[in-house]
Amino acid sequence: MKKNLYLPIITVAILALSFSGKVTAGPGSPADSSSSLKGEVKFEGTAPKLSRIDMSADPLCAKAHPTPVTTEEVVVGANSGLSNVVVYVSDGLAPNTYQPSQQPAVFEQKGCQYKPHVLAMQTNQKLDVVNSDETTHNIHPNPSNNREWNMTQPHGVPLEQTFAREEIAIPVKCNVHPWMRGYIAVFKHPYFAVTDKDGGFDLKGLPPGTYTITAWQEKLGTQTQKVTIGAGEAKTLDFVFKE
Amino acid sequence: MGVLSLKRMGMRLLAVCTLFACVQTAYGIPAFARKYGLPCSACHEAWPMLNNFGQTFKDNGYQLGNGHDAPIYQEPSYWPVMFRTNVLWHRENNNRQAVDVVPGNSGSGQVESSVTTSGFDLGGVDMITAGTLYNNVSFFVQPFISNNSINVSQAWARLDNLAGSRWLNLKMGKFELDEPISQERSLTLNNTGGLYYSYFFTPPGDNNFFQGIGIAQLGVEVQGHSENDDTRYSVAVVSDSNGSPGLPSNQAYDVYANFNQSFEAPWFGRQQVGVYGYFGESPTYFLTSGGRPIPGTGTGNRSFYRFGAYGHWYVNKFDFYTFYLHGSDNVFLGNAVASNQPSGLPIGAVAPIWNGGFVEAHYNPTPRWIVLSRYELNRMSRQANPAIRSDAGNLDSWTVGYRWYPIMSPRAGFAWMQEYSRITNTGAAPLSGKDDVRNSYLMGFDFDF
Amino acid sequence: MRTTIRVVRTAVILICMVWSVLGAAQESHVGKLAGNAKRGKALYVRYCIFCHGPSGDGRGESAPYLDPKPRDFTKALFKCRSTPSGTLPLDRDLYDTITRGIHASGMPSWKPLLRRERVDLVAYIKTFSSAFQEEKPGTPVPIPPEPPDSAESIKRGADLFQSMNCWSCHGKDGRGHGPSAAALTDSQGNPITPFDFTSGKRFKCGESNQDMFRDLLTGLDGTPMPSFAAAMSADQKWDVVHYIRTLSSSGKHMELKHLIGGQ
Repeated sequence: MKKNLYLPIITVAILALSFSGKVTAGPGSPADSSSSLKGEVKFEGTAPKLSRIDMSADPLCAKAHPTPVTTEEVVVGANSGLSNVVVYVSDGLAPNTYQPSQQPAVFEQKGCQYKPHVLAMQTNQKLDVVNSDETTHNIHPNPSNNREWNMTQPHGVPLEQTFAREEIAIPVKCNVHPWMRGYIAVFKHPYFAVTDKDGGFDLKGLPPGTYTITAWQEKLGTQTQKVTIGAGEAKTLDFVFKE
Repeated sequence: MGVLSLKRMGMRLLAVCTLFACVQTAYGIPAFARKYGLPCSACHEAWPMLNNFGQTFKDNGYQLGNGHDAPIYQEPSYWPVMFRTNVLWHRENNNRQAVDVVPGNSGSGQVESSVTTSGFDLGGVDMITAGTLYNNVSFFVQPFISNNSINVSQAWARLDNLAGSRWLNLKMGKFELDEPISQERSLTLNNTGGLYYSYFFTPPGDNNFFQGIGIAQLGVEVQGHSENDDTRYSVAVVSDSNGSPGLPSNQAYDVYANFNQSFEAPWFGRQQVGVYGYFGESPTYFLTSGGRPIPGTGTGNRSFYRFGAYGHWYVNKFDFYTFYLHGSDNVFLGNAVASNQPSGLPIGAVAPIWNGGFVEAHYNPTPRWIVLSRYELNRMSRQANPAIRSDAGNLDSWTVGYRWYPIMSPRAGFAWMQEYSRITNTGAAPLSGKDDVRNSYLMGFDFDF
Repeated sequence: MRTTIRVVRTAVILICMVWSVLGAAQESHVGKLAGNAKRGKALYVRYCIFCHGPSGDGRGESAPYLDPKPRDFTKALFKCRSTPSGTLPLDRDLYDTITRGIHASGMPSWKPLLRRERVDLVAYIKTFSSAFQEEKPGTPVPIPPEPPDSAESIKRGADLFQSMNCWSCHGKDGRGHGPSAAALTDSQGNPITPFDFTSGKRFKCGESNQDMFRDLLTGLDGTPMPSFAAAMSADQKWDVVHYIRTLSSSGKHMELKHLIGGQ
């Protein structure tokens, strides 16, 4: 009779172990600091003409921009660099639980625009929303995989939130100022970057392995590439988005 | 004699109706469903029977109270009209009908015989237009089209929520009284089971112009209700014309009142109890000219009353009605004698008194099905003329049936129904004085849009 | 024998834990009443399905002809709550919405339904979204007592209506035609208009000053109306409430009074 109990006990034990997972201390470990994956995202073709934003509805916004401001859907810099592209590991990571960074991610409303236009952060990482403008904004993310909320934020009043689930990417708007548009990409793991004005990105501390890397742009869609990184290797990976 | 033998006319009408399909009217109103996007089942337990949500909607003046009630909110092409009819096959039988011994030969003598007829048939067409004319002004106009005539079954306007209060609503026109259980919304349509006999009962030998609380009456009604319709009252003052336009009767007025109260019983559901009464006067004779009665000049008024109590009980998916009526007509009305000729009264004439009632049970497992059965009886407790047998006029009726609603839509209603009912009229066989038993079987489609 | 008992006991405990998590979403509690999703489903099929759809996603047969659109329960995003923005409503909030209806929409007041029936409906509605199993409802926001109305309070409220940018959607006169109003959409992408404060005393989520205060505190999730929890103090919110009251016309239309709470 005792033999018949081993099977259920073992089954329960295996189930328990598989659900527990392993917890790592944080992004990367000292042993892998020499591996890196850098690259550039470029735009090929004629850069689209971006529309001018009319901020006259709120004089406090118009005041902040003596020269005209445009929308930011496709921002091509000098040397055809494409900024605001989220580059991240979409496949190949071990199923670990990653602790969120202790540093808050900052999303700023400045000149009645979102700075940065695209923010990338981790699940359960603190999001600091800052209103540097004199006018009152409301910050209204419209997620499909997270809880939606909508908060008014006058100048200088602090606001903290978190997102519990991975989502690439959550559109954010301000209902008071309809032209305002931003994105927040939320990841379970820390291996992501948003390209700078030259289109450059650096996925620091990526452990050795074979990965699928995805580049996401809000209007031009996604592209993926596979890459294998050995220990201590510095690899380069470029993406090109066409118009 | 110069007295309109209304009772006899009424009996003839009933006889005509019994043999030729005068099927009862009933309705659910898809026009409301179209206006609000709600399905029929939201307001109707099983149309045409209303549930509490639908009754509250009706008491509110056909308004949901959500700010989108006034007609101005509707698409201009929305038309608050609906049509309703039924197509059926039915079989009628009367076990003791007086027939000539030799068909075609009226001199051959008569004998009682069982007479049966059956076949495909058509119910009349109800056209119902109802809704709001404006915020808090509602209306209802119901022409009824049968084979060879159009009548106006109801036509009224109502000022709803006067002084901002749901306790004060004023209706005027020809309307169905706020009956305990609505005759118009009865679930049965067949010839012997389509009526609540208690609503129409007239004792033998009686010629009361008033035909019963089941008939739409002409008058005004003040009605009020609590927010969820738990408490309701209605007081109506109507002309004693039995709902017939053209001032045919007299100048008297009758009063009808109804009051009911609901409460929520844990585990069982909503329970409702109520009391009602109708008190009136009817003419016993008319002024005449050249021997013919002049309409509207009814005089020699004598009083009559009907009153009783009722309940509507829910036990989860079962619900049943219990209804009791006590009635009496003045001795002159009871004996069809003009009050200015008291010598015409039979010896020992008294006011007739009777009691009646019914129990109707439903099983409504889903909005698509309802099964029903009803047992009704009326008993004379005192005859107007002691010479006639004490149980003359008594009746027993039972009905079973079901309705199935294969489609549920806010645009239209469609039901398949089957019903069987049987009525025994004590001692009413025309020749032998035995019991007269009629039965009806009906099946068909009942639809509205 | 002892091992058998232990294993069985553990299994029973595990089953109870799983059952309680699953079972919790099938129940609702409002006051002393407990609702059951199975009974609620029968009621939903009778009353709600034509607008809200068989899957509770707001795509009932009548939905294309309704404006505003019926709520999509699968998103677990509700306008009328007593909990902070981004959190789930209490059972009581859903019960109150069913009882009160939503003014100027296709959602009627279901007060003629028994209280038990409305609580059953709440239990069934919660089954449409897994959020009700994964998260607990938010902590209800406290509504402090209302300070007296005064000309100063109204004036402060008017200033806040300006500085908090309420006018950008609701317009300077409160009629709902502010400069940003035309571009507004709800979370499903349907165009939505800001409330016209001059239309009367009834608002979407109630009609008392307390209701209005609560709306400012919780925001109307799923719509552009944000929560002012971080933006204004309680007194400031009361000032805005007093100001907005002056915009409502006084009883021009005879309206039915719908009260929540109690029955």
